Amino acid sequence: MSALSENILDKLSIDNIKTQVLKNAYGNDDTVIAGMDPRFLLAWYCFFGIVPWFLDNVALLLLLFVFVAVTTKLAKVAPLVLLLFCVGVFSQTGYLLLVALFFGGDASTVLPLLVMSLKVAVVSLASITVFSGLDPDKLASGLLWYGCPDQLSFSISFAYRILPILMEEFQNILLSYRMRGVAPEHKTFFGKIRYLGYQIKIIIQAFYPLMLNTAKRSRTTVEALELKGYRYAVQDKRVKRMKLQMLKAGKADYLFAGISVVWVLVSVCVSRIYF
Amino acid sequence: MIRIEDLTFTYPGAARPTLNHVSLEVEDGDFLAVIGNNGCGKSTLCKTLNGLIPHFISGDMTGRVLIDGEDTAAMDVGSLAKKVGYVYQDFENQIVRPTVLDDASFACMNYAMADYEERGGRALDACGLSQKKHDYIWQLSGGQKHLLALAGMLALSPKLLILDEPIAQLDPGHAREIYEVLKNLNENHGITVIVIEHHTEFIASYCKHTVLMKNGEILWKLPAKEALRRVDELEESNIFPPQITVAAKRLKEAGVLSPETKLPTTVAEGEQVFGKLLLRGDYRAAVRPSVRGTKKNVEFSGITVKYRAVKGDSYPIFNDFSLDIHKGEKIALIGSNGAGKTTLMKLMMGLIRPEAGDVRLDGRETADIAPEELSNRISLVYQNPEEMFIKDTIRGDIEFAMKMRKVKDYRQRTDELLGMFHLEKLADRDGRLLSGGQMRRASLAVGIALNPSILLLDEPTANLDIATRKEIIKTLNALKDVTETVMIATHDMQLVCDWAERIIVLSAGRVIADGDRDAIFSDSHVLNQVGIRPPEIFYMGSRLLSQARCYTIEEFTDLFERKGAS
Repeated sequence: MSALSENILDKLSIDNIKTQVLKNAYGNDDTVIAGMDPRFLLAWYCFFGIVPWFLDNVALLLLLFVFVAVTTKLAKVAPLVLLLFCVGVFSQTGYLLLVALFFGGDASTVLPLLVMSLKVAVVSLASITVFSGLDPDKLASGLLWYGCPDQLSFSISFAYRILPILMEEFQNILLSYRMRGVAPEHKTFFGKIRYLGYQIKIIIQAFYPLMLNTAKRSRTTVEALELKGYRYAVQDKRVKRMKLQMLKAGKADYLFAGISVVWVLVSVCVSRIYF
Repeated sequence: MIRIEDLTFTYPGAARPTLNHVSLEVEDGDFLAVIGNNGCGKSTLCKTLNGLIPHFISGDMTGRVLIDGEDTAAMDVGSLAKKVGYVYQDFENQIVRPTVLDDASFACMNYAMADYEERGGRALDACGLSQKKHDYIWQLSGGQKHLLALAGMLALSPKLLILDEPIAQLDPGHAREIYEVLKNLNENHGITVIVIEHHTEFIASYCKHTVLMKNGEILWKLPAKEALRRVDELEESNIFPPQITVAAKRLKEAGVLSPETKLPTTVAEGEQVFGKLLLRGDYRAAVRPSVRGTKKNVEFSGITVKYRAVKGDSYPIFNDFSLDIHKGEKIALIGSNGAGKTTLMKLMMGLIRPEAGDVRLDGRETADIAPEELSNRISLVYQNPEEMFIKDTIRGDIEFAMKMRKVKDYRQRTDELLGMFHLEKLADRDGRLLSGGQMRRASLAVGIALNPSILLLDEPTANLDIATRKEIIKTLNALKDVTETVMIATHDMQLVCDWAERIIVLSAGRVIADGDRDAIFSDSHVLNQVGIRPPEIFYMGSRLLSQARCYTIEEFTDLFERKGAS
């Protein structure tokens, strides 16, 4: 039993989480989804992120769910993100089901709950496909095309640049706490709860040195941005045009759009005819 | 091309001007080194050249700075940036885009140059990074990141490049690489180069002129070699002239070299000067008794550690690795970046679990020892001291571990440590805001607070200027008696020679050599394999006499026959 709990703690170690986050950000840049034009994906997301909320046909939702599950698979999303998704969706509805049954509900409650969890699942998987499958830099260009301010799109791709540095530093600061601090004894059940509390406490405390170190770094970054003419670029319409020039829709994009439209239409027909 | 006329600059709120009536001229095509002790205004001077001062950093400025005859005060930072490139000392923070080509062409894109990608590509070619175009920044090594920061500036095709301590963070192999790139840019592309540099060996080999600054003033500007021969003036400013030059000066004073001799600054010049001298017939290399412990302290046996790669399969850092460390040893761990030095240290601390094999501490498996007990006995000081500061004062950081462990008189012990590392006056300051040397001393104090019997130091002299480095080496020597077993991972061969009693050379996760300094430094095969260079004076000595083993200037001057004796 203790070996098992050690094992779970090990899986949730900061090192593992770091690898997963990095994998998610940089490890899937050669997938079908990552190669697509961000403008198409964002438009696609506008449909799959909003429309499911207004549907309540189980068959249609199921078919849409199958479709976004496939796109998520294509995006090669990191396992950690999927785990969080599953835990999120099913704990939520599973809990509702329990409460409903406890307060006198019956099997008929299952259907509305299923509808709701399908809605949440479709929207979440669509978000995961777009925001996790597409590399942040492309996402930023896509947003820029749709008229988002340049500062926002620059921030997204800058975050993409410094993420590994921050993760590394955060890990080392946490290790500092671990080496110098004293963890509560965690053999008993209450000890384990206290231990968990302690872990959460040092994770929160570690943000303070992390922020100060980042502030120290940013002095050079700000000067370098000035030298590299970032301030001029924001005011210059030509630069925006140059940045957007690299967005090119290819065959794959039209194919993806076509498949999406056909799948949705077929799904609508199928659900109308059979249910 | 550069003309500075009577420039005085005071930062807001500062009592004294940082630059005081500075005048300087730099011709086109020069390769200029700016030297001077810490805080003498070198970086400030360079920032007036690219217009960051006065346009971006405010302050009180009088006098003029002319670039190609144009007054910088009348130009904006943007148009200056196309003429003057600047590479910071903390160059990593100057890289703002996620991929290599993107960062190299970022400035050109911002200035709306239509061919921005080609320009970025050409700059990468000039810096030898064309293979890395589509890599992410985090996949680059430290040296490659520096080259990228340089390429990002070079893409704008400036006429002048300024580099602030370009090699402070690099191992000697990468340092040469950077200077070769700069030399090529200077000679074949006509770019004027200004470096702020402490390493006089590099100035001797690469620079054309040298400017010495002191307290915000320029003392002189001289041809580089002539400048390096002014040994006394340099030492007064805490600059260490090439060891060869100092040795020649001592020999001159002793009457071994004739008074008219021009002091040599490089090994090649040294060969000509020293080659004429008579070597002592009875020279025997001093032998330092080999100190090897007998009692096993830490044992690594059959260790396998894999690095979890972001893409593709994980690859091994260590594969069936074994090593014994004995009580009382003073070990230097050397090897190029990525050889596994830091991983080895983290294994000892139990911060990394091996996939196979075990690490034993005094015969007990570290996996069975509670983390708190381990950190009472082993302490690790990171390469980056900022990551050790988790409280907002130095005092708070030093006492943290003792307080958590309810050590009785922790206040008294903290005071002792503050005294030992000369930090009393800084006790209430935030560690991050100290100078490089102070930060390093504070991190050492944090490291030994619990009185560990094993101390692990990761690159304790990295990023320090030479004067501060000497000071830290002195501190480390003083620590020898405080902690029983010490292991230092380092690129700093001076530190290795002065301090280490056992040297372990790692390459790609394997121990390729293990012995004392004589054994390691005379093994040219090993040196070439990991790209390390012994201190210049050692190299000089062995060029004159193959069995010579000179680690210090004294040992070197001892090679020669004294006139009085013969």
